[in-house]
Amino acid sequence: MLVLTRKLGESIAIDDNIKIVVVQIKGKQVRLGIKAPKETKIHREEVYQAIHDQNIEASKADPNSLSDLADALRDKK
Amino acid sequence: MKINTTRFGELEVDKKDIITFDEGILGFENLREFFVVDPGDQTLILWLQSCESGETAFPIIEPKIFKADYTINLLPSELNSLTLENLSNASVYAILTIPQDVTTMSANLKAPVIINNATKKARQIVLQDSKLEVKHQMYADLKKSIVSYHSDDSVRTRVSQTQPTVLSQETITEVTPNTQKENLQEL
Repeated sequence: MLVLTRKLGESIAIDDNIKIVVVQIKGKQVRLGIKAPKETKIHREEVYQAIHDQNIEASKADPNSLSDLADALRDKK
Repeated sequence: MKINTTRFGELEVDKKDIITFDEGILGFENLREFFVVDPGDQTLILWLQSCESGETAFPIIEPKIFKADYTINLLPSELNSLTLENLSNASVYAILTIPQDVTTMSANLKAPVIINNATKKARQIVLQDSKLEVKHQMYADLKKSIVSYHSDDSVRTRVSQTQPTVLSQETITEVTPNTQKENLQEL
């Protein structure tokens, strides 16, 4: 991994069209500003982790819970 | 080809119904080939079954069924990656998580599975829309639409089967309540 040291207000350019600016440093938190073309996908890493975890959970569904679900859904109460 | 599955036993799958995820699915990167099974349990929930791993299957559903206003915006690069010009020839599914307490079931609206119906290439795409949830609770909404769906006689024959069936994307479009054409255009 490339590691760069930046001060408040300084930035990093990635390719010709992506710019990451250190906007604020507060204790253990860093606020970053990102300038990128509209079609660039930007997500917090946790989003991918959450989707990953959710996929694992989803794959564990067993037919029994599904038949419970079928019964519950058909129950007009 | 015959595929042995843990949940549905042995299924005969036509090559043309096999859906390819070139990048796999997050957490299942090594699994590339899937097909869609209708378990015939009247829940409108289908299964995305892995060809390579008989025990791996994801319950999926068309989000429009429980959330009529679900719309997704794909970036041009995302459409390109599926060789789609728009979503009119695509199927959109949300992966469901169904815990023991079924009333807490949730749908992943943040990262739907998009299938190009013509090429059968698919991807799970993480959408940029920050309002969409990975764990969207939807039991009550699904129940509401199932009760109204079942009161519609014209579709009853379709859902009354009890044997698992492998679906091609063409047949799936018939399952959608309301007018499919309209739905797709909203997407």
